[in-house]
Amino acid sequence: MDFSFSKDQEQLRKAVREFVEAEVAPFAAKWDEEDICPVDVFKKMGQLGFAGVFVPMEYGGAGLGYTERAIVLEEIARHSAGLAMFLMTHHLGVAAILHFGSEDQKKKYLPDLASGQKIGALAVTEPTGGSDLSGHQSTGEQVEGYWVLNGRKCFASNSHVAQVTVVTVKTGTDQKGRPALSAFIIESDNPGLTSGRKENKLGLRVSTMGDLVINNCKVGEDSILGGEGKGQRVALGIISEVGRAGMSAISLGILRGCLEEMVKFAKERKLYGKPISALQAIQFSIAETRIDYEAARLLTYNALTLKDTNQRCDVDLAMAKYFSTEAVIRAAKRNIENMGGYGVINDYSAGRFMRDGLAGLPSAGASNIMKVIVAAATLA
Amino acid sequence: MKALKMVVCIKPVPSPDQYHHVSIDPKTKSLIREGIPTIINPLDKNALEAALQIRDKYGGEVSVISMAPPAAEENLREALAMGADRAFLISDRAFAGSDTLATSMVLASAVKKIGPADLILTGNESADGGTSQVSAQLGEWLGYPHLMHSCGIEVLDGGDSLRVETHRDQARVVYIMKMPGVVSVIRSINKPRFTSLMGVISSRNKPLDTLSSLDLLLDKAFLGLEGSPTKPGDIYQPDLTRRCVPLEGSTDDVALALIQKLRAAGLQL
Amino acid sequence: MMDNKDSLWVVVETIRGGFQKVALEMLSQARKLAQRLQELNGVRPGVWAVVTGSHPPEDEAMYRYGADGIILVAHPSLEEHRTDLHATVLADLIREKEPQVVLFGATAWGSEVAPTVAARVKTGLAAHCVDLQINEQGNLVQLVPAFGGKVLGEILCPLHRPQMASVRPGVFRAVAGEPEGKGIKLAVRPDIARNEDSIQVVEVRQKDAVGKPLEEAEVVLAGGWGVGSKENWLLLEELGNLLGAAVGCTRPALDEGWAQGEDTMIGISGKTVRPKVYLGFGISGATHHVVGMSDSGLVISINTNPAADIFQFSDIKVVADAGSIIKSLVDQLKLKSH
Repeated sequence: MDFSFSKDQEQLRKAVREFVEAEVAPFAAKWDEEDICPVDVFKKMGQLGFAGVFVPMEYGGAGLGYTERAIVLEEIARHSAGLAMFLMTHHLGVAAILHFGSEDQKKKYLPDLASGQKIGALAVTEPTGGSDLSGHQSTGEQVEGYWVLNGRKCFASNSHVAQVTVVTVKTGTDQKGRPALSAFIIESDNPGLTSGRKENKLGLRVSTMGDLVINNCKVGEDSILGGEGKGQRVALGIISEVGRAGMSAISLGILRGCLEEMVKFAKERKLYGKPISALQAIQFSIAETRIDYEAARLLTYNALTLKDTNQRCDVDLAMAKYFSTEAVIRAAKRNIENMGGYGVINDYSAGRFMRDGLAGLPSAGASNIMKVIVAAATLA
Repeated sequence: MKALKMVVCIKPVPSPDQYHHVSIDPKTKSLIREGIPTIINPLDKNALEAALQIRDKYGGEVSVISMAPPAAEENLREALAMGADRAFLISDRAFAGSDTLATSMVLASAVKKIGPADLILTGNESADGGTSQVSAQLGEWLGYPHLMHSCGIEVLDGGDSLRVETHRDQARVVYIMKMPGVVSVIRSINKPRFTSLMGVISSRNKPLDTLSSLDLLLDKAFLGLEGSPTKPGDIYQPDLTRRCVPLEGSTDDVALALIQKLRAAGLQL
Repeated sequence: MMDNKDSLWVVVETIRGGFQKVALEMLSQARKLAQRLQELNGVRPGVWAVVTGSHPPEDEAMYRYGADGIILVAHPSLEEHRTDLHATVLADLIREKEPQVVLFGATAWGSEVAPTVAARVKTGLAAHCVDLQINEQGNLVQLVPAFGGKVLGEILCPLHRPQMASVRPGVFRAVAGEPEGKGIKLAVRPDIARNEDSIQVVEVRQKDAVGKPLEEAEVVLAGGWGVGSKENWLLLEELGNLLGAAVGCTRPALDEGWAQGEDTMIGISGKTVRPKVYLGFGISGATHHVVGMSDSGLVISINTNPAADIFQFSDIKVVADAGSIIKSLVDQLKLKSH
C-alpha cells in the first residue's frame, strides 16, 4: 500500500499552486464579498488544462485522471472554494458528455469544454426535489424528429455562465410505471433555455447558482445523451462519482486552509505573554483539525485511486464526501473560535471558510443521503 | 528566419518563504541548506520565458542548463514542464565552492559541449546572494558579446542579431548585438507563463542529461573552491533589532504625536 | 606612494559629462583602506580615481574625497553605454599598472563593467559589498549580504590580484577632507580595435529624474502594500512634499503600479538609504527591505498587523491603517501651515 503521490503528481500540484497563489489567492476575499464570478480566470485555468483534466488528449484534454483532478481542485479550494466549485461543476457537464456521449457528441463538445473556451454544467435538481429524482416535473416530448423540452431547474450551478448544459427531463415511464428520465445537451444560444433568478448564496459565492427556465426548448435527436430513458443513470452516475469526488477535494482545500490559518494565528497571537500556540486548548484544536484533514485526505484519495483503476467506488466516495464536508464545518468552527474576536471579522478568511463549508454540505448529495448509501452497502 | 538555438542558465535557490529556516552551522561557519525546498531563481524564469517566446514566434530550440547539486533535477524538470525542450544538469563534487568566475567557466564549457548556441539567456541576478556577475563572465569565457539589465529582446536580421533594450540608472539604452551572445534579463521583461498540466506530463519524455567534470573541457586553474579567486570567510547574522516603543491612540492623536517626534528629530514643521 | 603598482583604484563612471557621485563615497573608503595599509606595512599605497570616457572629467572633488591621483582614460569610442569597451580599456590598464585593489560603484554600469574586467584579468570580484576592511595580512575583506540580508559573509581574494569589489551607492559616506598632496593627473589614450562592433548603441532615452534622490534625503517615507490604494499613494507623495521628504517603496507597491519606478525601491536589490528619519507605511519588514534602511536614524513604522516583522527593527511602533495615518498627517500639517 503506497499512499504517496507520484513525482508527476507532486510536480502537478506545485504548478497548480503557483498559479493559485498568483492569480487566485489575492482576489478570493474580494470575489466572495462582491459575489463576482471570474470567467476570465476560468479561461486562464482552461489554458493550463484544469478544465479538462480527465478528458483524454484526443478530445483536447490533459489526459489525466480523477486523482489529478482532485489535486487541482484541492489547491484552488485552499484559497477560493467558490472558484473550485465553479470548476468542479463545469466538470460535471464535461464528465457527463465524456462518459455517456456518442463519438460525435464527444468530438463536438469536449474540445471547447476541455480548453475552457466553453463552460459546462449539469442541471438536475428541480423545485420538487434534488435527492428525489422521481419528482421530476420537467418534460421532454418527441415531435417530428426533434424534441421539445419544458420545465424548470433550480440550484443549478453555472446557471448564468455555462454555454453547454446537460439537463434531465421526464421523457416517459418505465415498465414499473416510474418516471423515465432522459438527459439532453442544450447550448446557451438555444432560445428555449434561459437563466432565471440568480441566487444570493451563503457561501461558495464565486460559483454562480440559479434557476434555469426551459421553455419550448427545441433540440435535435442528436442532443440526447446516453440514450433515451437513461437520464437517471447519467445524473446519478455523474453526481455520485464526479460530484462527490469534487466536493471531497474542495473540502480538503478548505480544511488545509483552516489548518494553515490556525497554525499561523497561533504562532503570531500573543496572550499571557506567549504565543497562544503554547496553550493546550489551542494545541488540541490544531491536532483535531490536522487529524480531520489527514483522514479526509486518505478517504478521498483512496476512493479516487479506486475510480482511476476502474473499480467500484461510489460507496467510498460517499464516505469521503460525508467525512470531508462535515470535517470542514468542525475545522472552520475551531478556527473561528481560536481567533476570538478576529474570527468574526470579514477581513479574515475564517468566516469564508465556514460559509463555504456550509454551502458545500448539500452539494452532490446531502450528508444523510451519504449515510443511507453507506448503510445500505454495509448491511447488504 | 533561421531557427535559433537558445540556452537558458537556471539556478535553484531556496524559496524566499524559507529564509527563516536558513541557519548557520556554528562549527563550520557555513550555511545549512539541506532540506530547504528550492525554486527556480525567479529572474531565470523570466529568462526562460523570453527564450520560449522567441521559440514560439520563430521556431528553434530551448535548452536549460544548471550547475548545481543533483537535487536540481527537479528544478530542471520544472523548466521542461514550462516548455523547454531539453535539460542538462551540470553536477560534480569538483564544482563545489565555485565562485562566479569558476561557475561561469563551467557553464561556458557546458554551453560549448551541448552544441552551438545563438543566444544564451539568464537572469540578471539570483535571489539568494545575487552577485549579478555570472552572465558577463560567462560571455567572457565564451568570447561572445554580452549585455545585462535587459527589459526587452527582439530578433533581427533573420536571426543574426538582436535588438536589446536595457535599463540603465538614468536612461533606457537600446543596443544591437550580434549573435552568438549572452543576455541577462530583469523582471520587467515579461511575465513568466504558468505551467500547464500538459506541460508537466510532457516533461517526462523530454531529455534530461547529467554532465560531470569528465564530460567537459575545463580550465583546471579555475575549478571549484581551489580555483576560485574569491574565498568565503566568516559568516554571521547581523542583529538589526531596535527598541520598538508603541505609540497608541486615535488616528489624529497618533498623527499629532508623530509630527512632534519629527520636530524633535530636527525637522522644521 | 605614487608608484602605480599596488595602488588602490576607484573606477569612476562618467555620465552625461559628469560622473556618478558614488565614486566619492568609494574614494573616501579607499582613503581609509590606504591608511590602514600604511599602519600595517609602513607604506601608504596611492589612491587613484580612474575615469574612462570619451571626454572624462577631471574633477577636483575627487582629490578632496580621497584621490591622490586621477587617471584619465580618453578615447572617442568610449561612449558612456559601451560597457564592453570601458571594460576592455580597464582590463588593459590593470594588466599594465597592477593595482592591488579595484573598486566600482554597483550601479547598472558598474555591475556590468566590473565582472567583465574581473573575467578578463581572471581575478576575484565581490559584488554589492556592505563593507570593506583590511585584515591583519593586508588583504581586503569584503562583507556581502546573502538570503535577502539575513546573513552577512566575508569574502577574501587572497591569491589573485587585483582584489575587486563593487559597492552600492549610499553604503559608504562621502567624506571630504584635505588632499594629501597636490594631486597628480595621468592621461592615457588606449588602443581600441577598429572592429569592436559586435555591440552598437542605437538609442538612448533619458529617464526623467523625479524629485530628490532617495540616498540624499534627510527624511524618507517608504510605502508598501499596506498603503492600500493609488489614492493613498498620492496622499503619501503629498505628505512627502509637505515634509520635504523623498518617497521610496517596496516591491509590492511597485507591482501595484503605485510607486514611481524601480529606482525608488528600497532594499537589497534597490537603494540603500540612511536618512535622519525613516517613516514606513504599510511595510511588513522583510529582511531584504530592512537591510536597505537599517542604518537610518529614527525609524517609525506604521502597520495594521501588530506582529509585522518591521516592528522589531523600528524605534517607534504604530499599529494602525497606513492610509488613515497618512490622511491625518496631511490634514494636520496643512492646518498648521494656515
